[in-house]
Amino acid sequence: MTALDHPTGASGWLGLWRRTPLSFRIGAVILLLHGLVAVFGPYLVPYGYSEMRTGIPLTGMSFEHPFGVDQLGRDVFSRVVHGAHIVILLSLSGTALGLVLGSIVGLLSGYVGGWIDNVIQRLLETLISIPFLVLALLAMAAAGPELAGNPVLVILVVALVYFPRIARMARSAAIDIATRDFVTIAKLRGETAWSVMRRELLPNATSVLLVEFALRAGYAPVLIGSLGFLGFGVKPPTPEWGLMISENRALLIISPITVLGPGLALASLVVGLNLFTEGLARILGRTVKLGGA
Amino acid sequence: MIIARLILGRIASSLLTLLLVSLLIFLVLEVLPGDVATRVLGRDATPESVAILRERLNLDDPAYLRYLTWLGNFLTGDFGRSLISGRPVIDILGPRIFNTLLLAAYAFLLYIPLATLPALIQAVTRDRPLDHALSLVTLVLLSMPDFLLATILLITFVLAIPILPAISLVDHSSSAFEYFRAMTLPAVTLAIVMAVYAVRMLRDNLIEVLDSEYVRMAELKGVPAARVVWRHALPNALVPTLNVTALNLAYLIGGVVVVERVFSYPGFGSLLLDVLQLRDLPVIEATIMLAAAVYILGNLLADIAALLLNPRLRSG
Repeated sequence: MTALDHPTGASGWLGLWRRTPLSFRIGAVILLLHGLVAVFGPYLVPYGYSEMRTGIPLTGMSFEHPFGVDQLGRDVFSRVVHGAHIVILLSLSGTALGLVLGSIVGLLSGYVGGWIDNVIQRLLETLISIPFLVLALLAMAAAGPELAGNPVLVILVVALVYFPRIARMARSAAIDIATRDFVTIAKLRGETAWSVMRRELLPNATSVLLVEFALRAGYAPVLIGSLGFLGFGVKPPTPEWGLMISENRALLIISPITVLGPGLALASLVVGLNLFTEGLARILGRTVKLGGA
Repeated sequence: MIIARLILGRIASSLLTLLLVSLLIFLVLEVLPGDVATRVLGRDATPESVAILRERLNLDDPAYLRYLTWLGNFLTGDFGRSLISGRPVIDILGPRIFNTLLLAAYAFLLYIPLATLPALIQAVTRDRPLDHALSLVTLVLLSMPDFLLATILLITFVLAIPILPAISLVDHSSSAFEYFRAMTLPAVTLAIVMAVYAVRMLRDNLIEVLDSEYVRMAELKGVPAARVVWRHALPNALVPTLNVTALNLAYLIGGVVVVERVFSYPGFGSLLLDVLQLRDLPVIEATIMLAAAVYILGNLLADIAALLLNPRLRSG
């Protein structure tokens, strides 16, 4: 029984919406706002993300510059808005890639079992044994100076950090599903492991994987922000929020809003994703432990 | 003796994982396509300097031989020398590890009350406004990146309450009090981030235990409420959080990288960032091996503790 089964008077989409948990609704609204800013924001803000001399550098909050002006004279608010689609796209595509890889590896490994499963588990364990930020930094460093700051590299690194963790969840789901009759029947029909995975395991693991995706996506902006903050993520002048916080840190005492502005954007996105995930998990009748790692 | 076998099995599997980690680190840093020497020195390196580096890293030997030599040296405690300063890696790493261990111990000390007290308050006032308010606070803190939290603490304590230093530089000549002052803000940041993970779980565990029959029984027997919470509920609710504490150890290893950078604290994490930027391979390898070893050890200890504490696993 899930949260949506409770009978109430309302019907249709509005009724469905009203029956979702409060955390899901608040999270969805926050995410919708972020989505709108990401899509339309760049056309509405007065300045470009690398446009200099928009105001007097180091001045604090004002009506024209709600988040102040940075050292190079760029409008921080415009930069934060321009950054939204970058942060969201990098997070979602990195997590999605991790989900696809993790689901395939995890479901197949759990279904096939035996020594193949053992070997795969060992390798996944190896990747999980390196703390994820350290693993991400290692991958960034190993890619060498030519690729440094490439957004595709950031996506690949997010996927690399997440796929072993997602695979572990997918594997336990597969082991559970594989004991059911319809899988045995499919096997007796002579279906290949790939087709059993795609047609029997995947559809039945959807809710596990969906929650796992939301959970990981919720932490991805922090991971990307941490890399940017530490100088191992996307390169300036990209308006990625972690990078902006790091760039404006020197202004902290004169104009704290230049740091708090991008910080607010990042934290609110993650709050939205976390609330959404918690609500989604409750709708799907699962428990979820927030926190990423 | 089933338990002893289980524990030995876990230890063996941890050692195997550590071996695989060493192989992975070596593969990624020294065997991946592209010449290591050019990757370390950059594209515009002179042929002479590339040749010298190739010689120093024995790059003309086959990869498996280099790996075995490296691993052998590693196991005998020889971590090599820095490519930049020529100093033995162990001399560079030693003081940094000391600083980080001190910081981690301080953070863990703060972590215990920061995790327990809010969870206790929430469990006792469950579903009342205070519980909801604390839930909201932990959710916001959970969503706050550690580098942002560290930065905000930095503003608050350096600007508003200027009793703590903004830059936590310490060295062997610093007094104990200077160390204490320098470590406070980084330790508070780490402790808050770790505690937030634990509070949410501990609250739910506590509520579950408070609803259990033996706690009801203790209440019916007339045991004072405070004693019920402290002696009956809390110890039982803490067992499942061991896992979170192991996860926190994992976080701590990544967390020190960020927090040490924000506060310029000369520990293991800021060393890792420096050597990654400088491409100082021997130091990178030793640092990452150490991070993985600590993490694997933490997980192993959590597993063993769970085995010892779980009577069902004990009997078979």
